[in-house]
Amino acid sequence: MKKQSAALLLMLALALPLGGCASQPAEEGPKEEVTAERVVQYGLSNPWDSLMPYNSPSGSNYSRIIYDKIYDRLAYVHADGTVTARAAQSWESVEDGCGIVFHLNPDCAFHDGTPVTAEHWVETIALLTDENCPALGRSAFSVLTGTDENGVATGTEELGVKAVDEHTLQFTFKTPTIPEEFLLDKNREYYVLPTHLLEGVDPAELMEQDLWAAPVGSGPCEFVSEVTGNSLTLKANEDYQLGAPGFDTLVITVMDKSSLLTALIAGDLDYYAFGGSVSADNAPTATEAGFTVSKSEAPNTFYELMLNCQTLSDARIRRAVEYALDKELLCEQSTGGYGEVTSTSILPTCESYPGPGETTRNVELSMDLLEEAGYDGETYTLACTSNRSGLAALMQQQLAEAGIQTTIETVDSATLFSGMSDGLYDMAIASHTPSALPLWFVESRFSAENNIFHVDDLSPYLTGIDAIRTETDQEARKALVAQLDGLLAEERPFIPLWFGTALHVESNTVTGIDYDASSFSNENVWEWEKQ
Amino acid sequence: MRRGGPGRRFWTDRRAVAGLMILLLEVILVLLLPVLFGMEPNVTDQTAGFWAPPSAAHWLGTDDVGRDVLARLICGGQVSLLVGFCAAAISLGVGVPLGLLAGWKQGKWEYWIMRLADVFQSFPSIVLVLCLVSLVGASAWNIVAVIGLLGWTGIARLVYANTLTVREREYVLAARALGGRWTTILRRNVLPNAVGPVWAVLPLRVGRAILSESSLSFLGVGIRTPQASWGSLIQYATNTAVFVGRPWIWVPPAVCIVVTVVSLQWVGDGLRNALDPRFYTGNKA
Repeated sequence: MKKQSAALLLMLALALPLGGCASQPAEEGPKEEVTAERVVQYGLSNPWDSLMPYNSPSGSNYSRIIYDKIYDRLAYVHADGTVTARAAQSWESVEDGCGIVFHLNPDCAFHDGTPVTAEHWVETIALLTDENCPALGRSAFSVLTGTDENGVATGTEELGVKAVDEHTLQFTFKTPTIPEEFLLDKNREYYVLPTHLLEGVDPAELMEQDLWAAPVGSGPCEFVSEVTGNSLTLKANEDYQLGAPGFDTLVITVMDKSSLLTALIAGDLDYYAFGGSVSADNAPTATEAGFTVSKSEAPNTFYELMLNCQTLSDARIRRAVEYALDKELLCEQSTGGYGEVTSTSILPTCESYPGPGETTRNVELSMDLLEEAGYDGETYTLACTSNRSGLAALMQQQLAEAGIQTTIETVDSATLFSGMSDGLYDMAIASHTPSALPLWFVESRFSAENNIFHVDDLSPYLTGIDAIRTETDQEARKALVAQLDGLLAEERPFIPLWFGTALHVESNTVTGIDYDASSFSNENVWEWEKQ
Repeated sequence: MRRGGPGRRFWTDRRAVAGLMILLLEVILVLLLPVLFGMEPNVTDQTAGFWAPPSAAHWLGTDDVGRDVLARLICGGQVSLLVGFCAAAISLGVGVPLGLLAGWKQGKWEYWIMRLADVFQSFPSIVLVLCLVSLVGASAWNIVAVIGLLGWTGIARLVYANTLTVREREYVLAARALGGRWTTILRRNVLPNAVGPVWAVLPLRVGRAILSESSLSFLGVGIRTPQASWGSLIQYATNTAVFVGRPWIWVPPAVCIVVTVVSLQWVGDGLRNALDPRFYTGNKA
């Protein structure tokens, strides 16, 4: 007892001076009025690959959302599919729809003070399309004349980008292109680089420049420091043409996805990407913690069941898979009621939307189709990421009810896509951010370079895609879209499942955030205001 | 001073007996209940819905897919216990012969086996297990093999140390002098006397294997969906809403793991005491 008392007294004796230290008022020194720095703590669940926007092997949205802050883009894409000015003040279609002229904002400037001119844009694209330049993601430039299908300048034809004057930029396309559709599709892949700092650089050595360790862009935030793969500190660009962000510093920290909401509630974060997204399941937790949870105005996730058309070679088996699935129940499980089942990848908000199509489960028809196709009871591999293992288990049960046997492989996202690409898996559950363009999904997946569904004969799809791409009459285009959608429904190289609508936890400390647009890899940080 | 053989001494240790009884009860429950009650751990009950709270139909509610959590807990116990006992058996099967060889042969055998054990022990085991499971694929048997094959070093060292002592005993020297084959001497004279303490650490090895499997499942690289294990059930707790609002999902498997590991610890302690002469002659060190 005596020993315990002595230990207690000793602890108190040690604790008292420490407590005194903590409460000691700072009386010494001159009294200065100090303005607290406004720091926005921003959470991100995955790291970025590189600070050079054309050197990202993953090309992921996690990297894009970083580039969006440091570098400038031509326009700002809203969740409803509208685009507004950013580096370009306005734009118009020229040359019978084969060209777009962008009127650049004369107030645009790089973080070193150099004004951004149309010549910077031209030099950027010329540099990146140079055949010796090891740029990644330059296929975005393949729509311009003078480039091949990989976005490499052919040299046989003039490159489809020119500076009309200091602040007028013109793109020339291989096919007629509607300006808004170009921006919806490609805006997040077109950045202007500080080419005045790259004079005399061999294109082959572009990625090895020290500039990318401390990049200079013309975006709304300026680079300060980086701990690779861990955190990035940026400061507000006070001279940004759309207005200075309402904070001093933006600290982007990588943390596990499951910790983002907890960190927000604990006050360690002010906001997290993308758009403070929260599952329906966790929304009450956020509400109880005093946060407002809002629903996205437009669907921002498209779910699909990718199929391997080589191993599921008969279209009847692929259709049987679709009929075996209870999309409504699966959608409920996945989105908690914030989703809408579909049989097409085209958003309901798209002008060419062909309608929801047949989405009802029909196990008998599924079994008939399997019998017709001579399905021999083969067991298929169904790949999914770990957060969708429950969804996969539910799918497995539904497929088994129709007689289709599957085993589930839980893998990470990169393995899932590479496994589908290599033909390792027969099916995979994937999700994507849709856009209001009718071809947003199919165009990039039915090409010789990216035949991820392993379709034997791509020609009917390519014909349909080309016809839609070049058709400018809205009604005729709608008919072509319906025709292509009919072909997809008949052949079912992939199964559209549903469009999910995100829930956002709104920040209590930062106002002005456009939560919905975050899904489209751009954020209006110049309108953010740290309280 | 306690008297009697190791068996009797074990049965007089109340904690050890309680641990053994709990383990036996667990084994009986996880083996019999699914058969007796026709439990279906992988079937969705659409009428109950997703994340249903405990009810008469589902005593521990349903999970994110509408599956009965109790059924998954019981069937998950089969997997967890299977992994624990089989992995320990593999560790035993590899560790005992290698320890015997190193202790008996000495020289190069001793050097290479013990250095190999050093190499295995120098890696953080969970990282090594994670890498190997990712490499060979997640299935119950692969996990058993990986955990089992990586857990031999402790057992081998124990057997090695005992073999070094036993090989110098008179009866072993006599057997050698009589011209007995080394394999026969090892099997008949050395093994029974060197392996005793291993039985004491074996329950701890089972417990460690269960924890390893649970850690792997918690990290999402455990057994294959839709199979359940206690670790995979606890993984639900990574979801804030489940952790805070649905404790009936993750508390029961957590309790099962704790009870099993503590019981194994008690049994291990009981065996150690029963087999160690110092604990019954009063010559405690």
